Amino acid sequence: MKVLTPQGEKIDLLTVNIGPSHPATHGALRAFVALDGETIAGTVTEIGYLHRGFEKMVEQGTWQQVLPYTDRLNYCSAILNNIGFCHTIERMFEVEIPERAKVLRVLLSELSRIIDHVVCVAAAAADLGALTNYFYLFNPREKVYGIWEKLSGARLTNTFTRIGGLYRDTYDGFESEVASVLVEVEKGLDDAFRLLQHNRIFIERTRGCCPISAEDAVSWGWTGPCLRATGVDRDLRKDEPYLDYETYDFQTVVGSTGDTFDRVMVRMYEIKESISICRQALARLRPGPINTTDPRLILPGHGKAYHDMEALINHFKVVFEGVCVPAGEFYGSIEAANGELGFFVVSDGSGKPWKIKVRPPCFTQFAAYADLVEGSMVADAIACLSSINIIAGELDR
Amino acid sequence: MIDFDLPFLLAIAKFALVFIPLCLIPICIFMERKGASLMQDRYGPNRANIPLLGGIRLFGFVQNLPDGIKLFTKENFIPRGAHTFWYLLAPMIPLAVALLTPSVIPWFGPMVVEGSRGLATVSGQILDADSGVLVLFALSGLSIYGVVLGAWASNSKYALLGGMRASAQMISYEVSMGLSAAGIFLIVGSFSLTQIVEWQAAHTWGIVVQPVGFVLFLTSLFAETGRAPFDMAEGESEIVAGYFVEYSAIRFGLFYMGEYAHIAIAGALLSTLFLGGYQIPFMDTEAVRANLGFVSGAIVAAVGLSCLGIAYMVRRWARIYSRMQTTDAVDRKREYNILNGAFSVIGLGLLAVAAALMVLVHPAKGGLGAADIWPLWVNLGTAAVQVGTLVVKILAICWIFVWVRWTLPRFRYDQVMALGWKIMLNIALVNLLVTAVVAKLVKG
Repeated sequence: MKVLTPQGEKIDLLTVNIGPSHPATHGALRAFVALDGETIAGTVTEIGYLHRGFEKMVEQGTWQQVLPYTDRLNYCSAILNNIGFCHTIERMFEVEIPERAKVLRVLLSELSRIIDHVVCVAAAAADLGALTNYFYLFNPREKVYGIWEKLSGARLTNTFTRIGGLYRDTYDGFESEVASVLVEVEKGLDDAFRLLQHNRIFIERTRGCCPISAEDAVSWGWTGPCLRATGVDRDLRKDEPYLDYETYDFQTVVGSTGDTFDRVMVRMYEIKESISICRQALARLRPGPINTTDPRLILPGHGKAYHDMEALINHFKVVFEGVCVPAGEFYGSIEAANGELGFFVVSDGSGKPWKIKVRPPCFTQFAAYADLVEGSMVADAIACLSSINIIAGELDR
Repeated sequence: MIDFDLPFLLAIAKFALVFIPLCLIPICIFMERKGASLMQDRYGPNRANIPLLGGIRLFGFVQNLPDGIKLFTKENFIPRGAHTFWYLLAPMIPLAVALLTPSVIPWFGPMVVEGSRGLATVSGQILDADSGVLVLFALSGLSIYGVVLGAWASNSKYALLGGMRASAQMISYEVSMGLSAAGIFLIVGSFSLTQIVEWQAAHTWGIVVQPVGFVLFLTSLFAETGRAPFDMAEGESEIVAGYFVEYSAIRFGLFYMGEYAHIAIAGALLSTLFLGGYQIPFMDTEAVRANLGFVSGAIVAAVGLSCLGIAYMVRRWARIYSRMQTTDAVDRKREYNILNGAFSVIGLGLLAVAAALMVLVHPAKGGLGAADIWPLWVNLGTAAVQVGTLVVKILAICWIFVWVRWTLPRFRYDQVMALGWKIMLNIALVNLLVTAVVAKLVKG
């Protein structure tokens, strides 16, 4: 492809499609790059390969029926999406969920954050050619999936929370299993740290690779670990606490330069913080109810519905009409693994959503991708792509 | 008329040595897979088995068999727009080079045999030329053509990028490879690989006199073979599979085999230049010849003991496995019984052979020690021991290749270039200079 540079020079560029059919973009993303040798002279990104019409689909059912769809947003940490959605709806209802449900949600949030970060770090390392880290990190992740399976019956798309509480209580031996998984995660993380942290090749590959300044990151609307890697101390768990996060003792991990190294390291250290939060939550876990008793949200239970007329009507209305979310507009967000996961919700007071708009964290990050990689090399672009952790499920919805 | 005397027959028989790197390919692949699984906490290949032989899997070694069948029977795809002639020619080049290169590697020490025209020396190299090393470097430089031609001919941009990377990288590292080996040539004072090995036997291993050269040479070999961390030509996460992205079936297989044969040859070259080549540590050729019965017996005994060790390992697995609830318990029990029995029998048999070798192989004894064939027996036995020694060294170096691949991330293209030209070349030059000065001062 012949192009004219701004200086009036004619140069010959090689155009290459990186994706959608490419090992690093796994069929879901596309970056059309113009290469000058190995250097990327220009990039155009394209999204939509995994577009399923989430926002339109959810208008077809009741509010509760949105939940399984949220699993498919960021499928690496499905429970975080469940929690984000339920949290938003509960805030609209202004109901409080019981203490046990809160602690369990924190525990599951942080476990989900761990496995999400694990996927990102492992994939970033694998894209850099260090495949062994992948297995050190993925083996404990597999154990977490075992816990998910026992909890909810599903490994990937858990749908574990409900508006007003949780699907069901934990099983016998849940606490000890989580504790042992945390130990394994720690071990795998330490192994990965030892392989990467002082590895000269890894540092040379990732230091100064596709950096972004704090101002740019903020103006692109970045959130989460990628924003924190630039040095901005912004974490919804600290800044706008929910689920009593302010009572947990943890640090926000902040980077300095916003390059690939920082992005990967912020995630690795956040796993450590999440492990600590998980331990604190485990220590707080006391027996108790897991659902609110608010009849607008929660089914009365078979015992009551079979014998009590009002309870039967309640059961019927909650199931058939759906929970009637108060009319109005509302934006609720949580700190998901990738950043701020927001749900902008419009309700007309009926049992069905009028409009749900998702603010996926990686959408803004991928928007900046083309700017990030221009001027760097192909290998850097791949390292950058895996470090900003694009999950096509929530990117394209 | 050609005189079919002993030296001539031996020179013909030496051609069989060319196939040693080829035979090492399946072992290297097995090592790669099992080594990777060992490091990555996973099982590795464990499904392929031979049903007719009781379903044995040989710890995953059998996986090579279905892989070979798969590579031979898949569709041989030629992409549209590919330049058919070069596309078809390219995969043959690396393997052809891999077949040619072992001809200059000394596989055993020179032997003196009696022919019809008196005593003749049979060298351990198939091509015993003073320019042996130069031939070797020339041949390994040739293998780039396979990569570049394949990349260019397959009409794919990813392949083109891979070919570009490969050519630049291999040419750059050829320079530091030659320079890092130059130190040892200077010290020995010869290009002949046999003489280099003999010098090492007489003095000390090359790694001792040229430690910097050894590290540089090893690094260059990584780059030369295109192995991680220098595998940018493949760079599977960046440019998909690089130069062989459009190749399928056995044409891909040829590239694949070429890579492993290249590793085996790199191992042979490294051990020849720096690790004493075919020499057993602390035993030169004369010592082996004098104690042939004992040496060969000890080697066979070591192999036999390892077989018994494997049998013991299998027994332990079987015990652990019998406690697990599995659906294939019967099959596995049978397999473990077969493996246990086979390795026990082989191990005990080898121990018996070792004892026999130690007792019988001696000039004073009758039978094998009979005066008329004793010299030939000593020569062949020594050669076998030395070939075996070199193969063991090659496999050890192949293990280093595997180890490094599964430990380190990949370099970036420009970093590889910078490392090659700005760092390694300079160190190699300084090393050469220092070596030259020291060699001049010492040797006078």
